[in-house]
Amino acid sequence: MTPERMAKLVARWVRFYTRNLPDHVARRRLDEIDADVQDHIAHERAEGTGDRRIALSIASRMVRGLAADLSWRRRSTTTAIRRPAIRVALVTACILLVPLVAMQMTDEVDWGAADFVLAGVLLGGSGLLLELAVRKPRNVAFRAAAVAIGVAAILLGEADDAPGLVLFGLLLIVGTVALTLRTAQRST
Amino acid sequence: MPLETEILEAALSLLRGGQATFHGFALAQRIRAESGSRALTAHGTLYKALARLEEFGLLTSQWEDGAAVEGRPRRRLYELTKQGAQVAEQALAEKAEGGARRPVRAVPGPA
Repeated sequence: MTPERMAKLVARWVRFYTRNLPDHVARRRLDEIDADVQDHIAHERAEGTGDRRIALSIASRMVRGLAADLSWRRRSTTTAIRRPAIRVALVTACILLVPLVAMQMTDEVDWGAADFVLAGVLLGGSGLLLELAVRKPRNVAFRAAAVAIGVAAILLGEADDAPGLVLFGLLLIVGTVALTLRTAQRST
Repeated sequence: MPLETEILEAALSLLRGGQATFHGFALAQRIRAESGSRALTAHGTLYKALARLEEFGLLTSQWEDGAAVEGRPRRRLYELTKQGAQVAEQALAEKAEGGARRPVRAVPGPA
């Protein structure tokens, strides 16, 4: 096997264990190891090492690091899930504090437990959807789902005379469109 | 010795030699030379350790300037932070102290 074919095998392995991780994390790992392997090949060739021996040396580095790769993946997956979840939970809690505080000050705001649960699910779900859309910028499904929820919130808000729901729907759509534009700008 | 300590020591030695930044493969070579090992550190082990050191604030990293690259992929360049240099110096001092304290093994003489 040639060193170039071994480099492709290493890249395939890196793509495998970085699958479903945030794009920037996976990209960095892939690019960094690719640069390392290319440096390795260039260095060994300059030293006059034979191709077979270079390929074996690269294979050895890959195989000896398999366990560490998987442990790094586990750690990265936990971080990738935990951080957005905490962010969404905090923002949702802050928004839900507004009606809770308002209820202590005026009788015009009167939310029941069901209202808080519904608003929490709606806000938290939309937040997670936007987080997924940011993590997977090339996947249109998450952004389409966010826009669909936004449109549904506007229609329901109009029918139920709930300006808050209409505003939420509008913000969700504007946020999704802004995210799409930013992604398009970065990819050009 | 944990790989993280080896990395910090190698980075400090590079820094003292006037090389402030280093990349993964150069580091693997340096560690191999300093440890006297025949094999280069595995990819997974090396980059996992580098990520941990960066997480602890002992290293920083950034992508190499695109213009400096000629027909090869861009490298990720690492640099010791002030805190990282302090930890590396401390590790080296402890190693030297440990070496000095270690008793000289008596060579068995003829009976």
